[in-house]
Amino acid sequence: MNKIKKIFTNKRILILLAFLIISVILIQPGFSEQGVAIRSVQKDSAAAQAFPTPILSPPQTTKPMGREVILSVNDQPINTIKEYYDSIEQFQINDTFTIKTNKKTYFITINPLINLTLTNETETTLINRTTVNETTNETITEEIETEKPVYKEEIIGKQDIGITVYDRPTSNVKKGLDLEGGTRVLLKPQEEINDEDMDIIVENIKQRLNVFGVSDITVRPTRDFFGNQFISVEIAGTNEDQIKELLTQQGEFQAKIGQITVFEGGNKDILNVCRTSQCSFIDPINTCQQTTDGTYFCGFWFQITLSQIAAERQADATRDLGIIPSSSGQNYLTENLSLILDGEKVDELSISSGLKGLATTQIRISGSGQGTSQKSASENAKEEMKRLQTLLITGSLPVKLEIANVNTVSAILGKDFTKTAMNTGLLAILAVIIVVAIRYREPRISIPMAITMLSEVIILLGFAAFIGWNIDIVAIAAIIIAVGSGVDDQIVITDETLGRRKNKDETIDWKARMKRAFFIIMAAYFTLVVAMIPLMFAGAGLLMGFAITTIAGVTIGVLITRPAFAAILEILLEK
Amino acid sequence: MNRREKRQKRFLKKQPKIVDVQTETKKIEKEKDTSNSFYYKHYKKLLIIPFVMLLFGIMIIGINIATTGDFITKGISFTGGTELIITKQGLNAKTIEQKLQQEFPLNDVIVRETTSFGQITGITIESNIIQENQEQVKKFTNKVKELTNPSQGELTENILGAKMGESFFQQLMVGILIALLFMGIVVFLYFRTIIPSAAVILAAISDIIVTIAITDLFGMKIGVAGITALLMLIGYSVDTDILLSSRVLKNKEGTVYKRTIDSMKTGITMTVTTMAAIIVTLIMAHLNSIGELTEIMTIILIGLLVDLINTWLQNASILRWYMERKEKNEQN
Repeated sequence: MNKIKKIFTNKRILILLAFLIISVILIQPGFSEQGVAIRSVQKDSAAAQAFPTPILSPPQTTKPMGREVILSVNDQPINTIKEYYDSIEQFQINDTFTIKTNKKTYFITINPLINLTLTNETETTLINRTTVNETTNETITEEIETEKPVYKEEIIGKQDIGITVYDRPTSNVKKGLDLEGGTRVLLKPQEEINDEDMDIIVENIKQRLNVFGVSDITVRPTRDFFGNQFISVEIAGTNEDQIKELLTQQGEFQAKIGQITVFEGGNKDILNVCRTSQCSFIDPINTCQQTTDGTYFCGFWFQITLSQIAAERQADATRDLGIIPSSSGQNYLTENLSLILDGEKVDELSISSGLKGLATTQIRISGSGQGTSQKSASENAKEEMKRLQTLLITGSLPVKLEIANVNTVSAILGKDFTKTAMNTGLLAILAVIIVVAIRYREPRISIPMAITMLSEVIILLGFAAFIGWNIDIVAIAAIIIAVGSGVDDQIVITDETLGRRKNKDETIDWKARMKRAFFIIMAAYFTLVVAMIPLMFAGAGLLMGFAITTIAGVTIGVLITRPAFAAILEILLEK
Repeated sequence: MNRREKRQKRFLKKQPKIVDVQTETKKIEKEKDTSNSFYYKHYKKLLIIPFVMLLFGIMIIGINIATTGDFITKGISFTGGTELIITKQGLNAKTIEQKLQQEFPLNDVIVRETTSFGQITGITIESNIIQENQEQVKKFTNKVKELTNPSQGELTENILGAKMGESFFQQLMVGILIALLFMGIVVFLYFRTIIPSAAVILAAISDIIVTIAITDLFGMKIGVAGITALLMLIGYSVDTDILLSSRVLKNKEGTVYKRTIDSMKTGITMTVTTMAAIIVTLIMAHLNSIGELTEIMTIILIGLLVDLINTWLQNASILRWYMERKEKNEQN
């Protein structure tokens, strides 16, 4: 009884327990298999137009357990990915159904898939044309006829509702591509690029993938040992060839007014998109407004420089447009400037009436961000500005990218692998416990060892969940290594303790024994860590996960679990 | 059992034991025998074994360099290539291999079955078509898709560039050298004596060289995973060497030999537990066709076996030699 009390009052053991509890909270293991999690929602899809609120793609930062989970479709429970797709398949165009998630209930209407074809016919419309007579300074409004091409609309099927789903996560430990399925593409810029350009490229890739409704993505620049630059793109879930192609294409950006292309992406039309504070602007205090319903709007603007040719094209395109008068004094033209990326309209900007027919090379683009608080509105404004700037730079990618490696793992393979990996880990631990049990024939040694090994795994997974690190094949190998070196250390501690006891050398106190054991342990620790350091940088970070998991594992062991093990042993074996 | 019986039993326990003199003397003799053992007497001769092994290792690697130009047989993660895994039952690896070889006679194509707990779950197709040859990659993947007709989520692709692989290889080589260097510094700072530190480093280097030579002998292909395994091996190998050195150098009680045997007990337990875990993982990885894990675990297993020899015959003998000379010098 006394020993149990001693165990639960020992500082080192309490620290271990605290870390274990925190880890379990971080991992947040869930046992519900019900439902499928939403991975992404395509822009402008039926799901994004759901009623009463649109269904949104989960932000990148959402922890796995925080993902929205679809529980039922029209009250029919959904438990597998196949069940979800089958139940969606049965609906026809204009059918409305309900999707119930763990957060809300949505109503979704299936949209028809429309094929637009340009016909030879044109349509004549009357619009108001306002001109200023410069001599008399009079404004003349006249009605003129304009011709517009006619598009033929044809329904060719139903649109996908735009939600991609995956198996509901059962803990906050993120699974890497090997385990979950997905695509990893390593892109190599053909020439050396500076940090600023690298930012542009990274943003640009994110934008383009977003256009295609792929949202569970990680795009990050890396460098290898020799200083070569790479961009690593990781996309969770299984994806089509389209994405691979998308990444290597340089991208096509156009800005159109009506049917006229005013400028294209690339250095020839847009000479400069201002990203410095002199010519771009977010003022969180002065430009923020609160509307009657409590929402905040914060404004921003930035300047772009067009080439002379593009400016003239714009003047031509706007010359004949009408003006929509507004009460605020800011008047806009009847047509908007559409921003088109890879054939998809991604944004639309109103054109100030002041620009009508004007061949100006300096134009100012303004907009606003919306939010429930002033801070979030200002944040959103900043995001929105960055998005627009990236869009305008898109197509003028500083360099061409080439694919160095492509790695696509199928979801099925990944799923099988997770199961195998877990079984393997448990069996490996069991094998070690058996060896230890045979060697020491003493449950007071083998049981604490088993507990220590399991604690190391749990704390390591907790750490991975905390920093959002992906657990993949190599990380599992790293966990095995960390636990393996943990057992080695525990054996050193045990033998150091037992050895002295056998020699009946009671003059050496526990502290000295432990000091000696930890002398060996620390030396082994430092050598393992230094052996892992080169791996962190080799090969464009492909092995970083392995190195970091190993280092984290042995560090947790040395600082937390192994001292606790020594303490347990000390208490249990003490006479 | 009543109280009296219990007391009686306790009393019996306290009675002095009658011991068979013969067995007891045998025991003592046996203990004497240990210090008379081959390992005790001929440690300098035993030192020949690891050095012959090291020499053979260097020779085999040398032959490999002369014949193939590389000291290891590089896997596709270093040479570049295409690996396609189709997780679909009912595919015939042999026929698909024949068809692909007919279609792409200039390339190496290997098709293997993948398994999960011994059950065939699909096939792995490996070829030396590299990412840089984009059209060929496309033609190849399309042909494979045509032959196997995988549905969404059944295809795993791994397409690697040769340039990337080459640079990756060089980096990992530099990595191993840096790791060895750092490790050497740590060991030296720890023990602050040249010969024992050098012995630890020599053991680690011998482990790596002999392990590589063995993989060469078996014609094993080594990729990124394999090199990672070599780095881990440094960690594992040094574990036992440090245990040995610090027990022999820093402890005072008992003879050098006694301390060596003590650390051997601990060290071999450490290696055996690690091996147990690795063998289990190896079997699981093999049954489930997880190439990377199989590669890592095979290399570590070979390395650990090699390390047993290098730690307990090479490092231990050098240390003893050093200690005995030191003691002799101190006596003079």
